[in-house]
Amino acid sequence: MTVQAGLARLDFLLCIMGSSMSEAILVVLIIVPFLAALACFFIRSTAFRTFVVIATVCVLAISSLLLQESPAGGFGGMSAGIIDPVITCGDFLLLGIMFFLGCRYRHPLIVMLTGGQLALFAWLEFFVFAGGQGPALFQADVLSLTMVRVVCIVGGFICLHAIPYMRAHEEHQKLERSRQPGFFAVLLMFLGAMNGLVLTNHLAHFYFFFELTTLCSFLLIGHDGTDEAVGNALTALWMNAVGGLLLLLAIWGLYAQSSSLDMYGLVVSAGTGRAAMLPLALLILAAFTKSAQLPWQRWLLGAMVAPTPTSALLHSSTMVKAGVYLALRFAPALAGTMLAQGLMLAGGFTFLAAAALAIGQRNAKKVLAYSTISNLGLIFACAGIGTPGAMAAGILLILFHAVSKGLLFLCVGTAEQQVRSRDIEVMRGLCAIMPFTGMIAVLAVLTLILPPFGMLLGKWMVFEAGADNIVFYLMLVLGSACTLLYWVRLAGTLLTGGQTAGFKPEIKPFLTRFPLAALVCAAVILGLCAPALYAWLIAPLTSLFDAITTFPAGQPLSANRAGGLFNAQGAFPLASLFLVAALIGLVAMYAVRKAMAGKKGSPYMSGANSNLPDHFLGPMNRPVRAVVENYYLAPLFGEERWTLWVNLAAAGLLLFILGGGLWA
Amino acid sequence: MGVMRTAGLVLAALAAAILLGGLLSGIDRRLTARLQSRKGPPVIQPFLDVIKLMAKERIVTNPWQAFSPVATLAAAATALVLFVFQGDLLVILFVHMAGGVFLVLGAMASPSPYSQTGGQRELWQMLSCETLLFLIAGALYLTTGSFRISGVSDLPEPLLYRLPLLFAAFFFALIVKMRKSPFDFAACHHAHQELVRGVYTEYVGPHLGLLEIAHWLDIVLYLAICSLFWATGATAMILLPLAAYVAVIVLDNVSARLTWRWMLGWGWGAGFILSALNLFWLKG
Repeated sequence: MTVQAGLARLDFLLCIMGSSMSEAILVVLIIVPFLAALACFFIRSTAFRTFVVIATVCVLAISSLLLQESPAGGFGGMSAGIIDPVITCGDFLLLGIMFFLGCRYRHPLIVMLTGGQLALFAWLEFFVFAGGQGPALFQADVLSLTMVRVVCIVGGFICLHAIPYMRAHEEHQKLERSRQPGFFAVLLMFLGAMNGLVLTNHLAHFYFFFELTTLCSFLLIGHDGTDEAVGNALTALWMNAVGGLLLLLAIWGLYAQSSSLDMYGLVVSAGTGRAAMLPLALLILAAFTKSAQLPWQRWLLGAMVAPTPTSALLHSSTMVKAGVYLALRFAPALAGTMLAQGLMLAGGFTFLAAAALAIGQRNAKKVLAYSTISNLGLIFACAGIGTPGAMAAGILLILFHAVSKGLLFLCVGTAEQQVRSRDIEVMRGLCAIMPFTGMIAVLAVLTLILPPFGMLLGKWMVFEAGADNIVFYLMLVLGSACTLLYWVRLAGTLLTGGQTAGFKPEIKPFLTRFPLAALVCAAVILGLCAPALYAWLIAPLTSLFDAITTFPAGQPLSANRAGGLFNAQGAFPLASLFLVAALIGLVAMYAVRKAMAGKKGSPYMSGANSNLPDHFLGPMNRPVRAVVENYYLAPLFGEERWTLWVNLAAAGLLLFILGGGLWA
Repeated sequence: MGVMRTAGLVLAALAAAILLGGLLSGIDRRLTARLQSRKGPPVIQPFLDVIKLMAKERIVTNPWQAFSPVATLAAAATALVLFVFQGDLLVILFVHMAGGVFLVLGAMASPSPYSQTGGQRELWQMLSCETLLFLIAGALYLTTGSFRISGVSDLPEPLLYRLPLLFAAFFFALIVKMRKSPFDFAACHHAHQELVRGVYTEYVGPHLGLLEIAHWLDIVLYLAICSLFWATGATAMILLPLAAYVAVIVLDNVSARLTWRWMLGWGWGAGFILSALNLFWLKG
């Protein structure tokens, strides 16, 4: 008896400790990046800054892994007393800064949008939102936990990679006074803002973090201070200010019906009437601007002018992922509505259109940008399908996309610093010049398109979940085909090169090599763990959907003994395919060794090879360089021709979403 | 016990598929020769060719040309094995596609203009072919409620009755995959091709031999997918693919090659529209 009582007591103690530990971790995840940002900004020593960045990244990564799911209803025990006023003041400060920026750059759109937000927010804060006991401030479910780990770990690797990158970047710029303190401060603040965004359960606080990421991305995009950089940063600011305004209107609408700002509670109790759906539609539109979905893609394409760590961060682990997070967070409340149908179709359309536009691009960074937009469309579609299985697929896609895309951006950025161009044709043969970076880039592409890796598994789940809607299925098939084409073309271009002998081994700082190597390992290992991840995700998601909606839940996948995933609709023999892939890799490497030991050939040039590499003997026996370029089919896939039409179609779909909100 | 039986089945299936693919290729050459008033090589000639290739020296200009053939062949074999085990058609197509990816990567690894252009064209071919195959998978789902091919045998009537337009589109994909006129522009067996051997140009000796076997396996997989259209009895399951195969060979000999733009515009566009119509019709 006493032993049992003792055990029960111990259990209780552990439980208390566990929850208070979680709260401590929560504080670390959100506060530490801001403190580190202040330290970076005010103490202008390079060594100190490097230390702070590395230490912060380590602390964040470990904390994110230690954080556990919150009990139902969120983490209690955190008092709103101090946090609420701080965040409200922060909101006014933030909107004030953006308003000031609009005035300073004489950008009437930004002035109007932020002025409108400022007025609306002040009115809501002082006259509408009632005081008293608010909702639990923070909560962490499987979606939040996945996001926090993506932000802290993938984002952390990007910050580490930024240390040597920014040093080289500034050497090239020849600045009198280093601007790195500000850059790293914003980078770290961005991580803190994202952590707050995905962990908060208070809708008004969510709005604060949402706006904070907007400001951070403005500062990062405009960092280089060129006319182009500032112009593109302003584009990002006004487009995201539209998103902020839509979000604020949505919050107002949601509060008007239920007098609550409890995000989890709103998802659970969202009604189905017209009044309930309209704010949700606005919420989805806000998420679309944040994730640069068509027709808002312009700001993300423009963001490419920024230094590589910025684009890597915006594309893989922060900013655009905030939009899909919002959509997935509210997905259970939408399941089965017209609005969800619209969301699925708009996501599918973005997936297809952005992939087709990527085919026509010869700027490597723009290809990556369009591919991000396209993949995010797929994740939005997951939110629209509205089954626990589709939502789990969406979360897995977020994870795998973040790892592989972050990796690719870092590789392309490293390459860009060397070849001084973003043109794919200039990067031709990169693997011969930079074997390490080039090979990792090719591997990253392969993890994006080949079975058995995670992205393809996620895509397979979407195929299975979305096949009931023929229009969506057609868009999915066409989009996947386009995706395959532009990725293989990019990887093939990087590989091109006749002579592999005589290259110099690539010498890069440890902080450049380590994030690349770690991320490529993560892409493979996480792919292998996909069934376990899926099992971890699906149970809570299923009970969440069961509690909220009567929409048919579809069939979740289960794992079989052989390490595959299956349901009545299909089966993905994941472990067997990984085994086969590993065997293929070994045998193929053996074949490579054998072939390399043998005679070297020269590329076929109609038998008229010259002594120079890549040259053939032309008229008068003079060597002529054989120049081959890829088919980009600009007339068929060029953005100049299609952007307007694609945007019109996408805007139509957005109206359909809004209509879905009004109709229901 | 279970593992041994599975392994035995896998090996037997692969051996049978290689034998069948090689023989079909031999019949193709014989039939084509007859259509051109020649005598043609013996039916086992493709096997002799591959054996001879295997004995040749390994020469590469880039290590990927040694890596790719192994990966391409293994992917084709895996896809076929998954088919034999009545797997998920989507997964089969994904794995099949991986083989094509490596073929193109190996071709693009060489700076030779012939190989490069062949690789690019192969990509456009994949874009148009694979799209149609995925639509067949969609039709499979809409009729049987599952992407597993095991569902087909339970259908009361042949799938072809409900998917005539999709079958027409599939026939187009088969021509492309068999590298036959009018769509033989990424690589072909005939001398009239201006790209030397296109995507295969830089693969020599044993590497080319492996790719040849991979191509046989791909053809067998396509014909196996073709047999799904009439899966009510063994006779029909053999006759329909055979008829399609012969029809492709005849078409090859009576038509001139078209450009890849034509393929993309008409083949892909029209094939896609036909298939899409068929899918809507199926659902409606």
